[in-house]
Amino acid sequence: MIKGFRYGLNKFWSEALSGDLLILSLSIILAVTSISSVSFLGDRLQTSMKLQASSILGADLVLRSASVIDPKYLELGIANNLETAETITFLSMVITDDDNLLTSIKTTSESYPLRGELIVTDFNGSPIQNNGSPPTGHVWIEPKIVETLNIKNSSEISIGNKVLKVDGIIQDFPDRNSSFVGFYPIAIANINDISDMGVIQTGSRVVYRSMFSGSTRNLNNFINDIGEIPADIRLQQAEDVGDELGEALGESVTFFNLASLFTIIISVISAMMAVRRYATRNLLQASLMKVFGASKLFILGHQIMQLLLIILFATLLGLLCGYALQSLIISTLQGILTTDLPAPSFKPLVLGFVTSIFVVFATASPYLKILSQTEPIRILRNDFSINLSNNLTIYLVALVTMFIFLGILFQDIKLLSYILMALIFVTAALYAIGKILIILLGSINFSSGIGWKIGLKNIVNRGNESILQIIIFGLSLLFLIVLAETRTDLIDSWSETLEEDTPNYFLFNIQEYDIANVTSYFLETANFSPSYTPLIRGRLLSAKRAGSDELSSENLMEREANLTWQESLPKSNKISKGEWWNQESTTAEVSIDAEVAESMNLEIGDELFFSAGGSKFSAIVTSFREIEWESFSPNFFFILSPSAGQSLPNSYITSIKISEQSNIMNSFTQRFPTITSVDLGAVIQQIRNTVSSASLAVQYIFLLTLIAGILALVASVFSNRDQRTKETAIMHAIGANRLIIFQSAAAEFFILGILSGLTAIIFAVILSSIIFSQFLDLLYSPNILILGLSFAIGVIFIFISGILSIRKTIYTSPVITLRES
Amino acid sequence: MVFLFNDKLSEAFTVMKTESKIAENTPRHPLKDLILEVKNITKEVNSPEGLLTIVKDINLSVERGKPISLVGPSGSGKTTLLAIMAGLDLPTRGSVNLLGSNITSMNEDQRAQIRAQDVGFVFQSFHLMPRLSALDNVMLPLEIAGDPDAIEKSQIALDQVGLSARSKNFATQLSGGEKQRVAIARAIVNKPKILFADEPTGNLDQKSSNAVTDLLFSINELINTTLVLVTHDLLLAEKCEDLYELSDGSLL
Repeated sequence: MIKGFRYGLNKFWSEALSGDLLILSLSIILAVTSISSVSFLGDRLQTSMKLQASSILGADLVLRSASVIDPKYLELGIANNLETAETITFLSMVITDDDNLLTSIKTTSESYPLRGELIVTDFNGSPIQNNGSPPTGHVWIEPKIVETLNIKNSSEISIGNKVLKVDGIIQDFPDRNSSFVGFYPIAIANINDISDMGVIQTGSRVVYRSMFSGSTRNLNNFINDIGEIPADIRLQQAEDVGDELGEALGESVTFFNLASLFTIIISVISAMMAVRRYATRNLLQASLMKVFGASKLFILGHQIMQLLLIILFATLLGLLCGYALQSLIISTLQGILTTDLPAPSFKPLVLGFVTSIFVVFATASPYLKILSQTEPIRILRNDFSINLSNNLTIYLVALVTMFIFLGILFQDIKLLSYILMALIFVTAALYAIGKILIILLGSINFSSGIGWKIGLKNIVNRGNESILQIIIFGLSLLFLIVLAETRTDLIDSWSETLEEDTPNYFLFNIQEYDIANVTSYFLETANFSPSYTPLIRGRLLSAKRAGSDELSSENLMEREANLTWQESLPKSNKISKGEWWNQESTTAEVSIDAEVAESMNLEIGDELFFSAGGSKFSAIVTSFREIEWESFSPNFFFILSPSAGQSLPNSYITSIKISEQSNIMNSFTQRFPTITSVDLGAVIQQIRNTVSSASLAVQYIFLLTLIAGILALVASVFSNRDQRTKETAIMHAIGANRLIIFQSAAAEFFILGILSGLTAIIFAVILSSIIFSQFLDLLYSPNILILGLSFAIGVIFIFISGILSIRKTIYTSPVITLRES
Repeated sequence: MVFLFNDKLSEAFTVMKTESKIAENTPRHPLKDLILEVKNITKEVNSPEGLLTIVKDINLSVERGKPISLVGPSGSGKTTLLAIMAGLDLPTRGSVNLLGSNITSMNEDQRAQIRAQDVGFVFQSFHLMPRLSALDNVMLPLEIAGDPDAIEKSQIALDQVGLSARSKNFATQLSGGEKQRVAIARAIVNKPKILFADEPTGNLDQKSSNAVTDLLFSINELINTTLVLVTHDLLLAEKCEDLYELSDGSLL
C-alpha cells in the first residue's frame, strides 16, 4: 500500500489537472464553504447572542419576583462559586424643590451588574464608574431626569423620606428591559438606602432580582441545588432571552442551517456523479495496473492518496472561502450585532475536514472497492463499464452515511426525517417516471424528424442511465426550488413586519378630557385623527379553574397588569383558541395572550380575579390570542370585554405615525405636558436595519446553494459525456449532419429536463409547506412566479449545458474525436 | 524503418544484456526448458443460452525463448486462452504452470506479483493511458514495482523502440503504430521472461504492422524473451517456431 501511496503522491498533480477530479474538488469546496461559513457564523453569533442575552439580563441567571426573595438563594449561589448581585426596582416620585417626576428607582448592590456594562459619567461627560452602586446617600440619574427637573451637579433630590445627592449621569446600563417600568426614566441608588426611603409598603409594585454569574457547570450545579422554586419566583437564563435579539436574526439562522444542509446534500449528489465519472475513467488504469502486477492494496493506496490530497487542498480552499463568506455576512449583520464578536473557534476547521472526508468517502468508498478489485481480464475484453446495479449499492451507502453524518452535524432529527422522506419519495417518483418514459418512448414509432427520433431513442437505449439523470436533475432542482421559495417568503415576511405606516410614537396618560384637544391638534398639524385605546392599571389577584371552588395565585408571577377593554378584536391580534365575545354579551370576559396563558397554566373557562381603580372584579377566560407585537400598535396581555372593563377608571394610550422631518412632537409636549410621549423611531430603524441585513445575509447563503445546485446539474450532464462524445462522433462519421446531432441531443435533454423539472416542482410545494409550517412558523402559499421561473430556468439550464457538453464534438472531425476517445 | 529499429535494438539490447543477469545466465533455446505448461484447461461461462464452453481440454507447453503463436478465427477462444496462460483469468478446470509456479492455485495478488516480475503484455487496443505522456506510460510497470530508476530505464526502452524523441507526447498525440511501439516499450521495460501479445498488429496498417512484427521478433531474438503471440494473421503466426490453431475452443 505504501508503494500505492507513493505512486498516488507522484501522479497527483498530473491527474488533478486533467479535469477528472475538478468537479469532485468543486463539490468538496462548496460543501466545506457552506458548512464552515455557517459554522463560523453560528459559532460567533451564538457566543455573541449569549453575551448580548446575558447583557440584557445583567447576569447569566436571574431569580425575579414581585415579592422579597429568600436570601438563601444568594448563599447557595456563593456556595456554588457564583458571583451574585441584587436589585430592587420600584416606581416612585423623584422630588426637587421645584418639581417632581415619576421615576423607576433601581437600587443595586455593589457587584451589579454581573454582565454588561453600567456607564456613569459626571456632569461634564467624563466617565466615573462602570459598575457597582453609588455610595449610600448618593444617586445616579438618567439625562431625562436632569433635563426635566433641571438638576445640577451635587443637587439634592428626595425619594420618599431619603434625601440623596446626585453625582452621576447614567449613560447606559445592561438590564434596561428587565423591569416593568421600561418607559420611565431611571435613577440608581444604593440598595442599603431602601429602608430609609420608606417607599415600599405592602402591595407596592416592586421587582426583586437576585442575579448570578459563573461557569456553565457551576450554574447547572446551582440550578440543581435550588430545586423547585416557589411559583412567584421566575428563573431567567441568558438562553431564554435570546429571542429578544430579533425574530429575523433567529429565522435567518434557521435559514442558514437549512441552506447549509441542502448545500451538503446537493454537494454529495454532485460528488457522487463526479466520483462515478472518475471511477469509470480510472477503471482502465486500474485494470492495466493489475495486468502489470499491481496488487489490490497498491491500487487502493494510489486512489486513497489521490482522494486524501483532494480532501486536503479542497478543504483548505473551502475553509478559506467559508471564512471569507462569514466575514462578509458578519459585516452585513453588523447593524444587528451590538457587541464585538469573539474570534471564531477551531470548531469550523474540524467540521470542514470532517465534512469533506465524509463527502469523499461516502461517495468514493464503494468505487474504491470496485477499482481495487477490478479484474485484469477487463483489458482483454475492452470492458470498462460500471453497471448500475453496483451503483445502487453505492447510492444506498452514500445515502445512509449522509444521514448519519448530517444527524450528528445538525442534531435536528425532525428536519432530517422530513428531508430523508422527501429524498426517498422524490427518488421513487422520478424512478417511476423514468421507467414509464422509457417504456412509452420504446413503444412509439416516430415517423418524422430523424434528429428528434434519435434523441428520444437514445433515452430508451441509455435505460437506467437516463433514469439516473432524471433523478439527479430532479433532486437538485427540488432543493433549489424549496430554498428559493423559503428565501423569498422569508424576506417578504420580514419586509411586511414594518410597513410604511408603522407608528413611531406612543402617547400615554391621555385623560378623557385631553382627547378632543389631542385629536384637534393632530388634525390641524398632521391631518389625521388618532384612535385611542383605554388603559386600565390593575392587578391580577388569583385564578379559579372552571368547575372548581379553589382560588389559586400559583403561577401568576407578575400580577401587575395593564388592562384594556375592546369591543372587537384588534387588527394585530389573532384568536388562537376560544372565541371573541359577542358585543351584546353581558358576561364579564377576558382574552389573554397565548404565551402568557401558557406560562400561567390558564385554560379557557378559568375565572380570573382582578383589582383595578379600587374595586375587585372577575372575568371568565374565553379566548387566547396571538399578538403581532411588531405592529407597534397598543397591545395588551389581557383584554376585557366591554361589560367587564367599560366602567373601570382608565386613561388612554395611542400610537401615531409622525414624519421624521416633522417637529410637531416638540410643540405637542409643550402643549400637553402631562401626556407622556415615547419616540420609537430609533427602535423601528434598528428593526429595519435588522431586516435588510438579515435579508442580504440570506441572499449570500442562497447564492452558495445555487452554485452547488448548478454544479450538481453540470456534474450529472457531464457524467456520461464520454459515451455521448463517442456516440456523437460515430453518428457524425456515418453521415449525420450537425442539425441532426443537435436535434437528437436537444430532444434528449429537453425531455429529461421537463420531466425532472415538473416532478421537482410538485415535491417542492409539498416539502416547502412542511418546512414553512414546522420550522419557520410561516404560512405557505405556493409562489407561482418562483415555481414557474425555477422550472423554466432549470429546463433551459439542463438543455444548454447538455448541448454544450457535446458542442466540441459537433464541430470536430469525428476521426479526431474517436482517436482521442 | 524496420532496419533502423533493428540497428537501434542491437545497440540498446547490448546495454540491457549487461544489466540482465537472468538473460546472461540463460542459455538460448535450451531444450525442454519449459517456461509455460498448460494442462487440461477448460473455461466455461454462464450465458443467457446456458453454460458456454470457451476453451476445452487444452494442453500445450512452451519452451523458454521459443516464439509460439495461437491462431484461429474470431470467437475461437484465443484471447481467453492467452488470459488464462498469463494469469489474467482462471480456468474452470485444469492448471497452468508459468515460470515454475502453478498460477491457477494462486490468488489474484500472487499472480499479480508474478506478472510484475516476469511477464510483459502487448494488446490489440494498445491501452495507453490517454492522460499520461509516452514516457509515463512506459514507466507504469516499474513504478508499480517501486523501481527507483524507472525514468532512466523507461527512456532506454523508448529508445529501443525508436521513440525517444516522442517521450513527452501524450498518447492521444501518437499514431497507431507509434502507440503500439510505446506499448511494446512498456511491455519490455521490466525485462520480462515471457511476453504475451494479443493481436498486436490487429489495429495497424500494413507498414506499421510490419514494423511492430519485426520489433517483437527482434526482442525475442536479442533478449531471449519467450513470445506468445495471439493472432488471426497467418503470415505473422508462421514467423513463430510453433503454431497452435484453435477452433471452437479446441486445439486442432
